[in-house]
Amino acid sequence: MAAKQPTPMTIAEEFAAKVRRDGQRERVMRYAPMIVLLALVLIFTAARGAAFASFTNMVAILNQLAIPLLVALGLTFVIMIGGIDLSINGTVGMAAALVGVLVMNNRFPLNLGFLGVLLAVLGSVLVGLAVGLIHVYLKIPSFMVSFAFMYVCKGLGLLSYAGQPPKIIDPLLVALPKTYWLGIPFITWVAVAVLLVCIFIQEYTAFGRYIYAVGTDETILRAVGVSVNRVKVMVFTLAGLCFGIAGVLYGIRLGQGDVTAGNDLMFPAQAAVVVGGTSLSGGKGGVTNTIVGVLIMTVLANGLLLVGVNSYIKTGIEGLIILTAVALTVAHGAKVVSK
Amino acid sequence: MSQPTKPGAEKGPRLRDNLVKYFSFSAIVILVVGFTLARPNFLGVANLKTLLSDSAPLLIMATGMTLVLLLGSIDLSMGSVCSVANVLTVMIINELGPQLGPPALGAVVALLAAAAFGAVAGLLLGFVHVKLKVPSFIASLGFMSLWQSVAYLITAAPVSVAKVMWGGINWFKVTFGVVGLSLVLALAWVAVAYLFQSRTSFGKALYAIGGNERAARIAGTRVDQAKIVAFVLSGVCAAIGGYFLAAKLRSSAPTVGDPFTLLIVASVALGGTSLSGGRGGVLGTVVGAFTVSVIQNGMNFIKVDAYWQSIVFGFFVLAAVAISVDRSTRGLVVK
Amino acid sequence: MQESKVCFSAKGIVKHYGATHALKGVDLEVREGEIVGLVGENGAGKSTLLKIIIGAENPSSGQMTMEDQPYAPKNPMEANAAGVGMVFQEQSLIVNLSVGQNIFFGHERDFRRYGVINWPRMYKQAQRVLEEVDVGHINPRKKVSDLNFATRQMVEIAKVMNVTQRTDGRKCMILLDEPTSVLSEEETENLFVQMRKIAACGHAVVFVSHRLDEILEVTDRIYVYKDGASVGSLNTGDATEPLLYEMMVGRSTTSEYYKLERQVEPQDAVVLEAKGLGLSGVFKDVNFALRRGEVLGVCGVVGSGKEDVCEVLCGDQKPTAGALYIHGQKADFQSPAQALAAGVLMIPKERLVEGIVRTLSVEDNIAASNHRLVSKGPFVLAARVREQALRLIGRLRIKTRGPKELLMQLSGGNQQKVVFSRALASKCEILILNHPTRGVDVGAKEEFYGLIRDMMQEGKAVILLGDTLDECIGMSNRVLVMKDGRLSGAFDAPARGKPSQVDVVSAMM
Repeated sequence: MAAKQPTPMTIAEEFAAKVRRDGQRERVMRYAPMIVLLALVLIFTAARGAAFASFTNMVAILNQLAIPLLVALGLTFVIMIGGIDLSINGTVGMAAALVGVLVMNNRFPLNLGFLGVLLAVLGSVLVGLAVGLIHVYLKIPSFMVSFAFMYVCKGLGLLSYAGQPPKIIDPLLVALPKTYWLGIPFITWVAVAVLLVCIFIQEYTAFGRYIYAVGTDETILRAVGVSVNRVKVMVFTLAGLCFGIAGVLYGIRLGQGDVTAGNDLMFPAQAAVVVGGTSLSGGKGGVTNTIVGVLIMTVLANGLLLVGVNSYIKTGIEGLIILTAVALTVAHGAKVVSK
Repeated sequence: MSQPTKPGAEKGPRLRDNLVKYFSFSAIVILVVGFTLARPNFLGVANLKTLLSDSAPLLIMATGMTLVLLLGSIDLSMGSVCSVANVLTVMIINELGPQLGPPALGAVVALLAAAAFGAVAGLLLGFVHVKLKVPSFIASLGFMSLWQSVAYLITAAPVSVAKVMWGGINWFKVTFGVVGLSLVLALAWVAVAYLFQSRTSFGKALYAIGGNERAARIAGTRVDQAKIVAFVLSGVCAAIGGYFLAAKLRSSAPTVGDPFTLLIVASVALGGTSLSGGRGGVLGTVVGAFTVSVIQNGMNFIKVDAYWQSIVFGFFVLAAVAISVDRSTRGLVVK
Repeated sequence: MQESKVCFSAKGIVKHYGATHALKGVDLEVREGEIVGLVGENGAGKSTLLKIIIGAENPSSGQMTMEDQPYAPKNPMEANAAGVGMVFQEQSLIVNLSVGQNIFFGHERDFRRYGVINWPRMYKQAQRVLEEVDVGHINPRKKVSDLNFATRQMVEIAKVMNVTQRTDGRKCMILLDEPTSVLSEEETENLFVQMRKIAACGHAVVFVSHRLDEILEVTDRIYVYKDGASVGSLNTGDATEPLLYEMMVGRSTTSEYYKLERQVEPQDAVVLEAKGLGLSGVFKDVNFALRRGEVLGVCGVVGSGKEDVCEVLCGDQKPTAGALYIHGQKADFQSPAQALAAGVLMIPKERLVEGIVRTLSVEDNIAASNHRLVSKGPFVLAARVREQALRLIGRLRIKTRGPKELLMQLSGGNQQKVVFSRALASKCEILILNHPTRGVDVGAKEEFYGLIRDMMQEGKAVILLGDTLDECIGMSNRVLVMKDGRLSGAFDAPARGKPSQVDVVSAMM
């Protein structure tokens, strides 16, 4: 056997060093979102002082946080399995439109009360289910299916009230957005409740394990006899549920059923999830990452408004954030094929 | 040979490609017959003129998207690139045009500026996708949001083209019989794209990359270069589409391109270009774009609620993609 | 070692993949408490056999028994239920889950109460499982991504032990496929200790490794495979490395087969030279020169780095050390396209993944590497593409209905001929042939060998990674051997006086 020549570093050492470097990078990336959040808070406090760091503004941030958080939660699970959901504008908008139509309102005689709220949510759940089923069984990429459903849902939403948004006049629902408990708005409490449910699903159920596994390597699930397709369909349905709740709350907050409610939600949600550290390739991150991501996006939006930045720029910044976050987290190298 | 050849073992793909085309062809025929039965003057000169000239911007944009889709990638930012080009065009015509003298000159400068913007937008997207390896759908989604905000920053509200400058954009209304000049230009553009796609090594590279990017790379295809060129062309197509819309509407709006993203994808998918790449082409897209235009025009004509349109197109896209998607690879992981 | 009860036996296992005979009637018998080693060259059928035993593939024919019961698993789950588990070469752990969660992945039901997983109970159980394989120091709550490869391997073994553990006292069998490839020496020793412990409990262990010294150290009995058939089995006490090499390589094929009478002496001109070439963590200090008219064979086991050397040579990867010289000029390829422009092209190993574009026609596939030669200005001339395709279809006797037929409609062997035609059409001076005869039948192989000899007479140069060792030695003027990312040997292989396969193999392992 040929004797190995003494060299500064053996191949095994080089390999080990590479693994170590990757590990370090990983650890830095794990804390990066927290650091970004902290930096934003410091910057805005320095720029606007009390106007930003006041109690009222904190409550305002909590209020602004609720709906983006709900949307981002649903999206988190979808991205964790390596898919994506672009239907958000539509599903959220449709739920917002339907709640206006189905509860006591100024245009239609329907008054289903709480049942109406449930039905509106159910609409989005069904859309989520449809996206999942079509994606899985017709083998169409999830971005394409959900993209088409965005338009379908927008159409359905507009159709439901035939062009003119109905005003919600149900006294209970009118009062809801102004209801506070412990100084925090009711809508935020709903978001927190959903958040807890999502954490529970992720951490305490077998389904939560399977979500990670689908994003990592689908063959592992097949080897133990878990249906990958079922997990995927369930994830998209769950996302539909989150979007539905978000849409209904948005409609209630607006005081009218309006399909355009969803329009400004998709980019911040995508940005929040990827900025939080959930990787687009799947299997990594989770609900807790998304909390940080949503905080970053909300603080950023809030702070920019306080600093007096043109609101049109906000969308552009969201786009740049998505691009940067994804570019930092995807696999690189000449051999990587990305479509 | 001891190894048994399986003649026609995979007849499917060819048939499937054609299936979508037949589907689109028959859709056009059925729709035209249906709409005509509902409203006999659907095929009247006036409506045909509108139908044909309205399809021009969509046709141009869908041509650009076809090149990208052949790669197996997608460009969701075309709608907002179109919007930016649209507001940019009207801004230049209105503000720079009067100083340049004849309206036509202003219009030409605006065209060049719009096209240059489209090229830059495509270059940026291509760079982010190819060099930073960001998947094209998410990269173009990011740019979609970026360009939307740029369009708003240029002009937040719709702006009309000043009457003195109409001379520069009146060409859009020129017609030869029922065929508008705009459609002639669009078809000429398609012809150039067809030449590009089927007769040059760039076109060959597109098909090879879409069919198997790894194999194309190993075989020595300039993958990165071809991809970036395709994205630049799609950006230019989107921008020219925006320019055409400015000429057609004689005004600009920062959201004008938004509904087009779905229509573009619908046109290309209905034209038989597979979402997985490597199959299809711009000629199919012509059929697809006309199918979309006929549906749109027809639904307007028989006064179907506009809300139905996005529902119909959404399902059309799903159906076309479902037919043309590649399921032949066993154990394929679709994300 | 006293004779114990037979734990697992397989008799006459045959496996076809289309026309290829991966296994031609293989036997295997493993006794309780025994560690059995499987050795053989790449492609000898070890991996296929393991896949059949674990249920990932179905045998075309043959019988298996496990603990006196007929055994025919349809999937890995059924195999696990019968007491057979496998530690995969690519680890099957979910890196973002904890150790305990991985051990019980797919078995969460056992810990569920009112739909909620009782984590403390699961982790306690996981701790017990880890202690059983002597790695109780691993914290089951730790994320797998925070563990090093050796620890992950132990977790993997613990996981497999857990799913195969039987309550009725019957024994189980653990398959280990190249488990040491990512381990250091110390870690490997630890693994061996665990394997012996498992065996001492009366379980059976099957161990596959390319490293014969390891096989000789840890196993009780060795099975040798060659070309999808068992050559024989022997007790480790009776085995030596030379004896195993002898059994693995068998007799060489006849000289006419490789057209040795047409082997030419290489010319003096060096066309490609590698000086200190290295790729961080993969290979290192690779030096060689390729002459005009020379076939340079490169041998080595999977993971020796030979594939990566090819990828660097053809511009697919950039080297992290050393340099490459083409005709004496330093070459700094950024992509295979640049390599192609310099006259270097690779025929890749994985035909479907890297070799062909299934959706393109035969003529377009053939023209894929030589657009410049069939173009005029920016335009590709359809007539030239057609004419070139027809010529090569005739020369290589490609069975196709015409140059317009899509490649996906051709059989595997004919697809490979198209890939070969593409290389010929490219007019490249330097060809890297990575398993050029993979999946083609004997007749076509001979044609390929003739074509390679033709090219040498035309003064081209070839780097060959043979599909078999025999082929590599038979076709080459010189053979380089790689082991663990370094050149470990070089043999001259003139037409009269080919090196013996045993010598080459001993440098590989």
